[in-house]
Amino acid sequence: MRTIVRGLRRWLRLVAVVLILAGIVAAVAFPEAAWNAIQLPLFAFFSTTRMVVAYLFALVFAIAYGHTAATNKRASAALLPLLDVLQSIPILGFFPAALIFFVATFRGHPIGIEFAVVFLIFTSMAWNMAFGVYESLTTIPADLEAAAASFGLRGWLRFRYLAFPAAIPKLVYNSILSWTNGWFFLVASEIFSAGGTEFQRPGLGAFIAVAGRNGDIPSIAIGIAVLAAVVLTLDIFVWRPLGAWSERFRMETAPGREIPRVPSPYERFRWLPRLPKVRKRIIASVQPALERYHRLSLRFERAYTQHPKAVREIRRVDLALFVVVFVVVVATGLVGLVQMFLRPLPPNASLLPSAAVLSFSRLLVAYAIALVWTIPVAAMLGESQRAARYLTPALELFASLPATALLPVIVGFALLLAPSVGAAAQLAAILIALFSMQWYLLFNLIAGVRSIPDDLKEAARSFGLRGRAYWKRLLLPAIAPSLLTGSITAWGAGWNALIVSEYIQYAHQFYEVPGLGSLLNHAVYPTPDNEMLLLTILTMIVVVLAMNKLLWRPLFRRASSRFRLEV
Amino acid sequence: MVDRPLLQVKDVAKSFFENAKEFKVLDLVRFDLTERDFVCVVGPSGSGKSTLLRIIVGLEKPTSGEVFFEGEPIRADNPQVAMVFQSFALFPWLTVEKNVELGLEAKGTLPEERRKIARKFIDAVGLTGFEDAFPRELSGGMKQRVGIARALAIEPLLLCMDEPFSSLDPLTAQNLRDEILQLWTNPDLPPKAVLMVTHAIEEAVYMADRVIVLSSRPGRMIAELEIDLPRPRNRKEPEFYGWVDEIYSLIV
Repeated sequence: MRTIVRGLRRWLRLVAVVLILAGIVAAVAFPEAAWNAIQLPLFAFFSTTRMVVAYLFALVFAIAYGHTAATNKRASAALLPLLDVLQSIPILGFFPAALIFFVATFRGHPIGIEFAVVFLIFTSMAWNMAFGVYESLTTIPADLEAAAASFGLRGWLRFRYLAFPAAIPKLVYNSILSWTNGWFFLVASEIFSAGGTEFQRPGLGAFIAVAGRNGDIPSIAIGIAVLAAVVLTLDIFVWRPLGAWSERFRMETAPGREIPRVPSPYERFRWLPRLPKVRKRIIASVQPALERYHRLSLRFERAYTQHPKAVREIRRVDLALFVVVFVVVVATGLVGLVQMFLRPLPPNASLLPSAAVLSFSRLLVAYAIALVWTIPVAAMLGESQRAARYLTPALELFASLPATALLPVIVGFALLLAPSVGAAAQLAAILIALFSMQWYLLFNLIAGVRSIPDDLKEAARSFGLRGRAYWKRLLLPAIAPSLLTGSITAWGAGWNALIVSEYIQYAHQFYEVPGLGSLLNHAVYPTPDNEMLLLTILTMIVVVLAMNKLLWRPLFRRASSRFRLEV
Repeated sequence: MVDRPLLQVKDVAKSFFENAKEFKVLDLVRFDLTERDFVCVVGPSGSGKSTLLRIIVGLEKPTSGEVFFEGEPIRADNPQVAMVFQSFALFPWLTVEKNVELGLEAKGTLPEERRKIARKFIDAVGLTGFEDAFPRELSGGMKQRVGIARALAIEPLLLCMDEPFSSLDPLTAQNLRDEILQLWTNPDLPPKAVLMVTHAIEEAVYMADRVIVLSSRPGRMIAELEIDLPRPRNRKEPEFYGWVDEIYSLIV
């Protein structure tokens, strides 16, 4: 076992190193490509900046949204279902519309494209982080909540001492997921067609995509190598230390159930803990102002409680405004929809049902393949501390290479294997979906296996449960909830992948398979067809929401009540 | 002024509703607390003791009845009332000193003053030297000391304790009980009155001047007993056992 783990670990590290080495070799062997790639550091800088800006917006949004949803009952009645829908719709489908909107807003200035790209990445990061904040705030231990209330922590103080620290572990964890997710959309969006025009901004994603279209294999290799290096660097120097730091904010688990922390080799980078010093200095400089503000607000509040009538008036106005805005937004949307359906449908609309079925079946195949390999691997990684310790970082790294960047490689690979162009296109579409879906399954499953209490495992072993019986009686039931969580996320990613996987330009040739994704692509380029675009997106949303409501939600509810591991 | 009770609990009742069915937890509880009172509420599990305490400090609203503190309806953030929790409820990301300063900061006390007061009470509970430690680095007994220091630091008139010793091992619990009684004898230190909830009858008899006995489901007041044993009390004395037995027979 140990040797297998060591071997695998080496193998995976090798993959990362090979990717980077391949880039270097390509650069040396093909000086022309290297000359092309001379701008890559600059491109990498542009791409990373887009990610950082989008992330900062997502962070502020997530905290505000999650906090409001968790603390304001009335708002949460609207915010939670909205978040639920936002999280499940394939945002890439809306990108053409966003692109046209932003470009029009800035009168064709390229800055509009930048806004659109940042906006897309933002939407790929924000929902999951907001859910993380909401979840952490609703699971604060009741006593801690009571202590904060009885010692008079309100407003800013409550946020600073209770809500924000309590949200940190999940916020950091989900940030890492969101960041990885962001790369997928960054790479997809730096070069994109909308409204009959192709928009492009300098960046790593655009570089790889252009290289792919030209079939320029050395450039593809160099591009992916640089991307891998950027992802690796940020992972080692930012996310790992941040993850280690966030452990401090975990609520203490009951004695005896403490999960031993896996010591990470990345903790060597201990520069982050030094940040608190900087933070302290910042706090020291703003502290007096905050204190004054706090004392002032105490005085205001006293005045507040003396005028309950005025307060009630303000609340009423506030509610009225909310209702008005809500009604206007919903009404505009409904009117638009009705108008569209009153007109005759475009001829291509008859293709929609079969396209939906075809796309769905491709995702289903990818999902099945993902299940077959992730469950056993997760069982192995979850059961063995040692395996997890060495393999998880490497796997996570591999997983954070976005499927969109690997797209040219996957197509090239599919062309090698498949007998015909049509078959290659099918294979490529399935593989891209697989690469977008499998990691979500794997990491959720690992977490699920790891959450099985040791007592339960020992009990199973001591009663002689082995092999099949062990799987049937303990492992599979115990991972059922995380399997479902992983499946829901994986399918979400899959629907997004459709949009880039069914219509690919590689080495000056188009590889196309019928489906919702290719319909969407035809609706935006070369001749824009906004009605078809909208109909395709609507079909996709209907299918996704139906699947969530009719399949995943009921399954999840059953699994979480039947197979929950009581704490 | 002297005659007005510090705390008045007037006919408090509490019900929870589930699927339109009413579950009565507390029924018509009434008692007063005056200065220098040390009162324990005892009852079997399911007697709504903790709910009662949460209502008394204003964290929950009673279904009917009222709670007055110094003649005014109670508010959760009343700085004159402090709370000690069974689970300690320390903020895991704050140091001992920051935890103790918490209520003071909320009151708007200036930083220098805060530090001085916090150090004084950390000293009073015997944790000098641990100001910069985080809760996870402390043992259970030490954590509860921080909880007590945090409550005392806001210099409350009333200290409420919700089973403060039941997550501690017996030896630590006994030491802490004695230390609290020690602090209680110092008239310079807050609070003016203590209200403690517990299911341990011996603990109630050991510590309280007055014991309020609740029945189970719904919690009704069965008895209110003045424990007139001299302090410090000895658990081995027959009088002590007399009280314990009496309360046992009331509950069972």
